[in-house]
Amino acid sequence: MLKRKITLSITLPLIVIAFYLISFYWNEWFCITMPRHQLVQLPSMFFLGIILALCFPKLFINDISWSIATLIFIMASLIFWMLPHSIDYAVINNSFNRLMHINMLLDGFLLVLVFRKIFFELKILFLGMITAMLLASGITLSVFNILLCSSFTIEQQKQTGHSLIIIATAMFVFTAFIFFRTLKQQSKS
Amino acid sequence: MIQIDSTEIKKQKKLALTWAITFLILFPVLITLGLLMRLRQGEITETGPSEFFSYMTLHGLGMAGILFTFAFAALWYLNSTRYVRLNLKFGWFLYFLILIGVVGLLYGTLIGKFGPGWYMLYPLPFKGTFWPAWATKVSVISLIILGVAWLLGILHMIYALAKQYGGLTNLLGWQYLGKKENITEIPSVVLITTISLIPGVFALIIGAAMLIMYLLQSFEPSLAFDPLMMKNMVMFFGHTLVNITMYCAVGWVYALLPEFTHREWKVNKAVVYSWNASFFFILFAYLHHLYMDFVQPTSLQYLGQVVSYSSAIPATGITMFGVIAQVYHAKMKWSIIPLMFLFGMAGWAIGGFAAVVDSTIALNSSLHNTLWVPAHFHTYMLMGVVLFIFGFLFYLFSGKDKEEKDGLGKAGFWIFVLGSYGFLLMFYLGGLNSVPRRYSNYSGLEIDHVRETGAHLAQCAALFVGVLLVGLILMYLSLFCKLIQQKVSTKESNS
Repeated sequence: MLKRKITLSITLPLIVIAFYLISFYWNEWFCITMPRHQLVQLPSMFFLGIILALCFPKLFINDISWSIATLIFIMASLIFWMLPHSIDYAVINNSFNRLMHINMLLDGFLLVLVFRKIFFELKILFLGMITAMLLASGITLSVFNILLCSSFTIEQQKQTGHSLIIIATAMFVFTAFIFFRTLKQQSKS
Repeated sequence: MIQIDSTEIKKQKKLALTWAITFLILFPVLITLGLLMRLRQGEITETGPSEFFSYMTLHGLGMAGILFTFAFAALWYLNSTRYVRLNLKFGWFLYFLILIGVVGLLYGTLIGKFGPGWYMLYPLPFKGTFWPAWATKVSVISLIILGVAWLLGILHMIYALAKQYGGLTNLLGWQYLGKKENITEIPSVVLITTISLIPGVFALIIGAAMLIMYLLQSFEPSLAFDPLMMKNMVMFFGHTLVNITMYCAVGWVYALLPEFTHREWKVNKAVVYSWNASFFFILFAYLHHLYMDFVQPTSLQYLGQVVSYSSAIPATGITMFGVIAQVYHAKMKWSIIPLMFLFGMAGWAIGGFAAVVDSTIALNSSLHNTLWVPAHFHTYMLMGVVLFIFGFLFYLFSGKDKEEKDGLGKAGFWIFVLGSYGFLLMFYLGGLNSVPRRYSNYSGLEIDHVRETGAHLAQCAALFVGVLLVGLILMYLSLFCKLIQQKVSTKESNS
C-alpha cells in the first residue's frame, strides 16, 4: 500500500508536468509541422493516458455494453482528430487544441480500463481495425496531392503519411504479438 | 473431451439449421446468376453489360462469401457440439451481422448495379463506371461488415479452442513433434480449424485496410493509390479467404468420414508437419495472381511459383493418403454422405492440379485471363467445397441413421455431378482455346475461331447448368424430406 502511494506520488506529478510541457510549454513547437503535431503530440497524450491508467491497477470497466461503447467512443475520437478540419482548427485555436489533448489523454486512460477485462475477440478486433485504419490513412496521406490541412505543407502531409504506414506496420506486428501471446498463455492457465 | 449437454447441442443444431437453410436459399440464386451470364455469353439472351457485370460481381462475392460463411458455420457446429463450448448468443449475433452484410451487398449489386467483379481491381470501381457512387459505398461498407463478423467469429472459435486444449502450440499439434509420452491429444478437426482460421485473421485485417481505402476514394474521387499495392492487398485478402474455405471444409471430412468407415483418423506427426507447412504457405500463395504485373519484383514472381507448388502438396497429399487409408477395404455402406466426401476430394485434387498448372509461370503466360482460370476454381469450389457442404448438410439433416438408403438424394447427386463436370469441361475447353474470361459476350473478338468457340461452349455450359439444377432440385427434395422426418421423430420422442 505504502509502495503504491509512493509510486503514485512520484508518477502523478510527473504526468502533470509532462502534460503541461506537451500541451502548453512546447505546444507552439509541436504545431509547426504536421508530423510533430499528429505523430508526436497526439500519441504522447495518448500514452500519458495509458501511464495514468497503469497507476490505478484496480480500475477497470467490466460491463460488456460499457466496454463496447467506450471502444466506439475511442475509435470515433481517433477518427475525429484525423479529419483535416479538426486538425486545422486545433492548430489555430488553443482551446480546441487543448480539448484534443484532453480527449487523447482520456482515450488512452479508458483504453487500459477496457482492455483489463474485455474479451479477447474484441481486443484483437479493436487493435486490428485501428491497424487497418492507420494503414489506410497513412497510404492516403502519402499519395494525396491536394493539401488537406491548410496549416501545414504538402511535404509534411506526405511525411506524416509515410510515418503512419510505419506505425501501422508496427501496430500490425503488435496485434499479432498480442494475438499469439494470449493464445499461448492459455497453456499456463 | 468435455461433456456438452443435450440442450446445448439442440440449441447449437438450431443455429446450424438456420445457417443451412439460409445457404440453401442463397446458393441456387447465385447459380442462376451464373447461368444468366453463360446464356449471355452464348448469345441466347440479350442481357446488357451493366446487368452482366453486376451479376458477375454478386456471383463471385456471394459465392466466396456464402461458402466461407457456411464452412465456418459447419466448423462452429462440429466444434461446439463435440469439443468446446462456444457462445450461442454470440453465434446468433454473428448470423444477423452477416445477414446485414449480405442484404447490403444484394442491394449494392442488384439495385445499384455495382459491377467491378469480386476482386474490385483498382482503379476499376472508380474509373469509367456505369454504376452510381452510392452503390460502391454500400457494397464496400457491406463487405466491411462481413469482414468484421468473420473476424469476430474466427477469434471467438480460436480462443475457445486454445482455452480448451491448453494454448496455441497444442492447437497447432506441436506436442506431437516432441518425445513426451503424455501429450494433450487433439482431434484432427481442431488442428485443421486452427490452421485454416489463423491466416484468415491477417487476411481480414489487410482486407479491412484495403476496403477503408476504397471507401476513402469513394468519398474523395481525386485520390489515387498505387494499383500494384492495391492488387497485392486484394489478392492477399481474397485468395487467402478462398483457400481457407477449402481447408475448413476438409476439416469436417476428417471428423465425419471415420463415422462411416469405422476407422480412427487421428492426428500424428505426418499430419502435423503437413498442415503446419500449409499454414505457412497459405499466406504467400496469392503471389501467383500477379504474374502478368511486370512491375512486381521478379523475386516475388519466383516465390509465387515455389509457394504455390509447396502449398498444394503437403495438406492435399496427406489428406488424399488419409482418405485412401480410410476407405480401402473398409466395411462401409456407400451412403450419400461418404460418397459426397469422396467426390469432393476428387474435385479438390482435380481443381488443385489445374490450379498448379495455372500457377506455373511458363503456362500462365498462355492461360492467364482465359477461361482456364474460372475452370480451376469452379472445379475445387463446385466439385470440392460444395460437395463437402452438401455432405455435411445431409449429415445434419439426417436422423440417427446416417447410413440409410436415399434413392432420391443419390439420383440428385449423380445428376448434379454429371451436370457440374459437363459445365466445368466447357470452361477448360474454353481456356485451351484461349477464350478470355470476364467478357459479357464474345462478339467483339477479332479471331473468328475464338469468338465462335466461346459462344458455342457457353451454350453447352448453360445446358449443363440446367442438368446441374435438376440434380440440385432432387437433392433439395431429399434434404427437405429428411428435415420433415427429423421433426416428426423429434415430436414423437417428446410426446
